[in-house]
Amino acid sequence: MSAVRVIPAAGTRRIRAWRIGLLSVGLALLVVGGLVLLADVAPRDYLGILSWMVGAIVLHDGVLALGVFAGNLVLRRAGRIIPWGVIAILQCAIVTGGIVALIVVPEIIKKAIGTTNPTVLPLDYGLNLAVFYAGLALATAVAIVLHLRVTRARRRAASATSAR
Amino acid sequence: MHALLHGTRRSLATPSRNPRMAVVIGRLLGIAFIVCFLTGLYSHFLQDPLPWMVFPTRPIWLYQVSQGIHITAGIACFPLILAKLYIVFPDLFQSPPVRSFTHFLERASIALFVAASLVQITIGLLNTFQFYSLFPFAFRQTHYALSFVIIGSLAIHIAVKLDIISRHWRKRDSAPRVPRTLTVASSSEAASDQAASPQAADVAGSGTRGLTGRVFAWIDSAPQPEPRASRRGFLVTVAIAVGTVVTLTAGQSFRILDGTNLFAPRKKDIGPNAVPVNRTARAAKVLESAVDPAWVLTVSNGTTARVYTYDDLRAMQQYDVELPISCVEGWSQMASWRGPRLRDLVDSVGGDPGARITATSLEQGSIYAVMDMGPEFVRDELTLVALQLNGAPLDIDHGYPARMIAPARPGVLQTKWLSSIEVVA
Repeated sequence: MSAVRVIPAAGTRRIRAWRIGLLSVGLALLVVGGLVLLADVAPRDYLGILSWMVGAIVLHDGVLALGVFAGNLVLRRAGRIIPWGVIAILQCAIVTGGIVALIVVPEIIKKAIGTTNPTVLPLDYGLNLAVFYAGLALATAVAIVLHLRVTRARRRAASATSAR
Repeated sequence: MHALLHGTRRSLATPSRNPRMAVVIGRLLGIAFIVCFLTGLYSHFLQDPLPWMVFPTRPIWLYQVSQGIHITAGIACFPLILAKLYIVFPDLFQSPPVRSFTHFLERASIALFVAASLVQITIGLLNTFQFYSLFPFAFRQTHYALSFVIIGSLAIHIAVKLDIISRHWRKRDSAPRVPRTLTVASSSEAASDQAASPQAADVAGSGTRGLTGRVFAWIDSAPQPEPRASRRGFLVTVAIAVGTVVTLTAGQSFRILDGTNLFAPRKKDIGPNAVPVNRTARAAKVLESAVDPAWVLTVSNGTTARVYTYDDLRAMQQYDVELPISCVEGWSQMASWRGPRLRDLVDSVGGDPGARITATSLEQGSIYAVMDMGPEFVRDELTLVALQLNGAPLDIDHGYPARMIAPARPGVLQTKWLSSIEVVA
């Protein structure tokens, strides 16, 4: 018994109080959300909202997350031949580029369909995306070169110390 | 099935997927959600005020900044929520999938939370460039209703995970110092702790045989990165992704980032009178009525009414004000406006100092054609019936012949193509 660290009762009580408070607030807000859905949102919209919510989970968990996992695995296996630091930099660039695409590609599509006036989506988003990717590729290359130089110098310094 | 779930979880385990990281990223995402919720409520009640509500009229950029933050924080939620879901993804494959009724409720509430959040930020983004044809429901009402569902689910999620959150709130109290043996197998936190612990997961997955077993073995034979570097790389990636999307879009709301605005749906200074437009004269069906030579602005107070022609309005004392036009969609633009004060017009029909007004537009088929304004805005010396914008008469898309402009109000309430102003007691 004495080996088990007992959490002070005051802490437990405080956590329980917080938990009850948060649950109450959360349930109350869910009720408000439900009431707003019933009062303000047209019933013909319910099915659309539900299908989007289910679709969001399926797209994320079934497509995006598995895609990320596959990409991750490929890079991890490349870890046998490519240094981890380089892989981390590549991962960072791919993730950033991917998230930017998620935000910008719908804009490109909408602009192609047409907007209500020329001040909505006024930029050349395809061109800007290409420019951004070129910049990202350059920044990634620079980061990899710098990383390799730093690690090489560090390794050389370490072997010089151990040789002494 | 059991082995498959365990195998999947083990294969998904990686150093950055741990409870401490879930708390670190979850904290940021929670803050972003609450910021979006509060700025969203402010915007909502400015448009649909409860009878007792009074709003500040200073600083003049209050709404510009609050709504700019709303949209920018919403965009920052994309990398943050994807990071948060990445961290906890192995938990999707916990086995058995449902352990008890409470566990079922917990998982259902998380599903609701995740689904509502993903839909919310997606339709919010699509709304900023009016891509309504993509979703089969009304934007504004759905966005409003989901905001309560999300913040409610957030509170419940925090309540359920309070033990993990408090244990991993500070780095020095975090995972490595808590003995694994203390985590009870039946609690959900044990599951997420376990997912991050390859040793614990190895034991669970050791029974896998056959083809799936070989697939898992192949996956697991991939080298694992060094944990510390992997965690640090993950955090740096999240920071760079958030910094990138904010830097490249927030220029539509904040002038300081205008130079790096590559991807925002709006660009400052682009549009007639060097100001972007939301609803055009064509969309509002005022192309003829707005340029009708017989146009007058009727100002009334009960039985008293006065009729102002365009020249009458120009003959009144004119004022120059610098006020932003700040759209609900997040973009904003500082501009110079010129015209008579609204309160002078209201006084001309004997309006009470505490009176509200109702302004009506020539606009057809929009809920914003009629606008209600509280006395704090009516009496403000900066509130004009504007006739000029940036040194030229209003462009027809900016509300020619006359439009409202008031400090710290959403653009949709800066009624264009004014037709009448009624003093309400």
